[in-house]
Amino acid sequence: MAVEGSPQVTRRTTRSYAASSSVVESTKPTEPYKPTLNDLGFGEQPFSLEDLLSRFPCRRAQILDFLRLLGPLNSPLFPILVYGGPSTGKTSVTLQVFRHLNRPFIYSSCVTCYSPRILFESILNKLLFHRKDSGHSYSSVKRCERPSDFVNYLREALEGVISNLKGNSGKSNSKMSGRPDGTMVYLVFDNLERVRYWDKSSTILPFLFNLYDILKMPEVGLIFISNTSPDTYYLNVGYVEPVPLYFPNYTEDDLRHIFMVNQTNRKLYAAFLDVVLRPFCRVTRRVDELAAAISSLFEKYCEPLSDKQVVPNEEMKRKLFSQIRPHIASALNATFHVQSQPLLRGETNKETKKTNSSRMSGYLEDSDKIDFHMSTSAKYLLISAFLASRNPATLDASLFDSTGISDSRKRKRKASEKSMEQKEMAEQELLMKGPGTFPLERLLAIFQCITSLAEDSLDEEESHEPTTEGGSRGLMSDVLLQLSSLCNANFIIKGVSCPLEGSTRYRTAVSEDLALKVILSTSVL
Amino acid sequence: MGREKEKEKPSEKALNLLRSRLADPNFIFKPLSDSPDSNYSKLKFIISTSVTEACNNSILLLGPRGSGKVAVLELVLSDLLQQYPDVISVIRLNGLLHSDDNCALKEIARQLCMEHQLLFSKVASFDDNSQFMIAMLRECGLAHKTIIFVLDEFDFFAQGKQRLLYSLLDAMQSVNSQSVVIGVSCRLDVDQLLEKRVRSRFSHRKLLFLSPSKEDTERFMEHILSLPVDSSIPQNYTAEFNGRLKKIISDERFKELINTYLSFNFTIGHLVRFLFQAVSYMDLDVGFLSLENFKTALSSNQRQPKLECIRDCSILELYMLVCMKRLEVKEQNSYNFFSVMTEYKSIHDSSQTSDNYAANVCLRAFEHLLQRQLISFIDNKGHNQSVEFRPVKLLISSAELHQGMKSSHQCPAILLKLMDR
Repeated sequence: MAVEGSPQVTRRTTRSYAASSSVVESTKPTEPYKPTLNDLGFGEQPFSLEDLLSRFPCRRAQILDFLRLLGPLNSPLFPILVYGGPSTGKTSVTLQVFRHLNRPFIYSSCVTCYSPRILFESILNKLLFHRKDSGHSYSSVKRCERPSDFVNYLREALEGVISNLKGNSGKSNSKMSGRPDGTMVYLVFDNLERVRYWDKSSTILPFLFNLYDILKMPEVGLIFISNTSPDTYYLNVGYVEPVPLYFPNYTEDDLRHIFMVNQTNRKLYAAFLDVVLRPFCRVTRRVDELAAAISSLFEKYCEPLSDKQVVPNEEMKRKLFSQIRPHIASALNATFHVQSQPLLRGETNKETKKTNSSRMSGYLEDSDKIDFHMSTSAKYLLISAFLASRNPATLDASLFDSTGISDSRKRKRKASEKSMEQKEMAEQELLMKGPGTFPLERLLAIFQCITSLAEDSLDEEESHEPTTEGGSRGLMSDVLLQLSSLCNANFIIKGVSCPLEGSTRYRTAVSEDLALKVILSTSVL
Repeated sequence: MGREKEKEKPSEKALNLLRSRLADPNFIFKPLSDSPDSNYSKLKFIISTSVTEACNNSILLLGPRGSGKVAVLELVLSDLLQQYPDVISVIRLNGLLHSDDNCALKEIARQLCMEHQLLFSKVASFDDNSQFMIAMLRECGLAHKTIIFVLDEFDFFAQGKQRLLYSLLDAMQSVNSQSVVIGVSCRLDVDQLLEKRVRSRFSHRKLLFLSPSKEDTERFMEHILSLPVDSSIPQNYTAEFNGRLKKIISDERFKELINTYLSFNFTIGHLVRFLFQAVSYMDLDVGFLSLENFKTALSSNQRQPKLECIRDCSILELYMLVCMKRLEVKEQNSYNFFSVMTEYKSIHDSSQTSDNYAANVCLRAFEHLLQRQLISFIDNKGHNQSVEFRPVKLLISSAELHQGMKSSHQCPAILLKLMDR
């Protein structure tokens, strides 16, 4: 087969998979691949320390510390806690360090292994060289849910692996290169912060922290990787803390180094970074978010250039800067955007910038691009859901009843200082409480009120719309269908049923901005 | 080739030796146990008398975490197993693993079966297992064999109905058995947690494990860190290593350093961890320990994680924190993202700053703060509510925030001003 020749080694699906699946999959599907001891290593050719350091710019101190803590071959290890903010290179440094050292390790992330049982079983599977396949209906090698069972199985499995490794190291290790070195086995637990939410009684976290003392095996090294600092793990049980290893966030200079790596036109990119990096660093210092924002901006930056290899001079830089400036401003205020109509978007963004002072017009600009399609009745339904969840039920009468309106106006005129204060308090409370829940009946009532108002205006424009034409009875089934589709799309959240009334209550998570957009797009107002 | 050469390096060998020593509790606690009034001798005396005189007994070993309770116990047990082979069998349970009665009895049955070469049934019920245990206790009593139950994390067994403890202690009294129950805990008040029926059956013998004295610590460090003369490591290297080590230990600065460390982590376990760090920082090219190694180990222990977190924040995230602080100063006792946002807007209205961002960007910054645990949700309720609406609280004090912002060099001056006002 042609596939056989191509290096499948590089095709890594997930990080956790890298530990076990790095060796070429078997070509024949009938004969499943049997993992061996070699799979406990990283699987790819180990590289030198210089390579490792150059792969992670600005992480030199951390890598050297890490290597020191791991120590020379076959030396025992106290548990380590690697911590630092997201996207500071904790996991990749750990994995690549093991690749550099070529020592056996088992990586398990608490994100993919989302419950104790899955975590335990995946570790055991890897240790016992078991691979889930159709032969045994994708079952794990051992069924184990409790920490007590896990410790027994783990001890057994580790003893097997370690004696195996010891047998290997006795032989001359020159003849095979795929073998991992040493007789230590390292267990890496990534995303440890997730474990805190696993069980209310919190037995797993103290168990993991005390695992080293429970096992009493010096050949096992434990490495925990966490987003949060060690002080967030204090338990009333107490434990001897693991050795901390801190990965600080990248500074602005570090980020510049990182983004300069692998750039073809370094001068141009440096000029671009001079302009872009500082404002973005004020917002976020995470590499992944910055990279997403910056890469699309660089394309814009290069647009006026015919030759991408040009070395920019001062005048050109200034010109490019004045062109990129509006894009920076808009990109700063966006968390992510879908590039469906890149041309249109650029223009509208510029215009919103200009009309920022008058808010309404700004919204009008945006209004025609709710970036998804919605039927008219769904829009009405969404608006009524929004009204129902933002207003108390007692206000409904005054809002939708023609006689009630004058009533409320009278009350407003009398507003004294004190009532204003009360109103402020109530506003604050509303802000804190978030959207309220409402029963289906109320939603439908409001929906009918709105549609009956809108009917006149709509009749002229869209007489073919069946939902508005047919009376209240005709649109019932259709509305319920729309409601369920809105629920599925997460615009409306189905809450728990009220124990007194027995009916399901709903709530909407739609923000004010989106509601406004929807309202404007229906052209009721 | 390079690897072969490295293997001959004496410093690497020395490092390996030191690290395996530190990871070996037997080696660490051996020298502390030779004096007659040490916990080791006391514990050994108690257990060996109950073995020789064929009686039941129960002891509690109490002390802070890392004070070597289990390590000393293991030393004693290994000694006794050598002294009286075939008479003692040890059952080890851990409260973290076996706090559930069902699970604990199963584990006891499993270990008894292992010990006596019996067939263990996984499907045996709670009753089967407890009957099996009582029968085994009786049999062992008749055969004059002692079963030693080691209950680590004893306080976990004292939760709930304490059925395991009751059935164990009750069996010891009613059946003419021969067993010792040893509870290990870091809670000094653990005997107060016991139910009356359990407490009355428990002998209140306690052994306290205290932190070592200063002289002991010094002796202990020298014992661990100095290299043995009779090893494969070259003689002249060993001599120089030990000479340098002596110099370091007698250095006043080193003593001060150790004192600062021990003033907040005072158990042997902590000291061992500290030495582990110091030893791993040893420069293999120089090949000897230096005072610097201990200094770096100390500084890596004296971390202020919250300050580090604040230093890691971007400016927008700092703005969010300052807004929350201001809300707290205004005595608004609960706030969520929207109230923070209104405060943020009001800051910009009053003092024109350059950092005015849209709500979604602020929300992302807010979520970063949640992720770093600088703020957290007040309650676990309302999981179906979106993040914006759930009330949050700050997890740092204003002093910490102030200090963190001062030390982060990128923090704009206006933020510090806003913080005070």
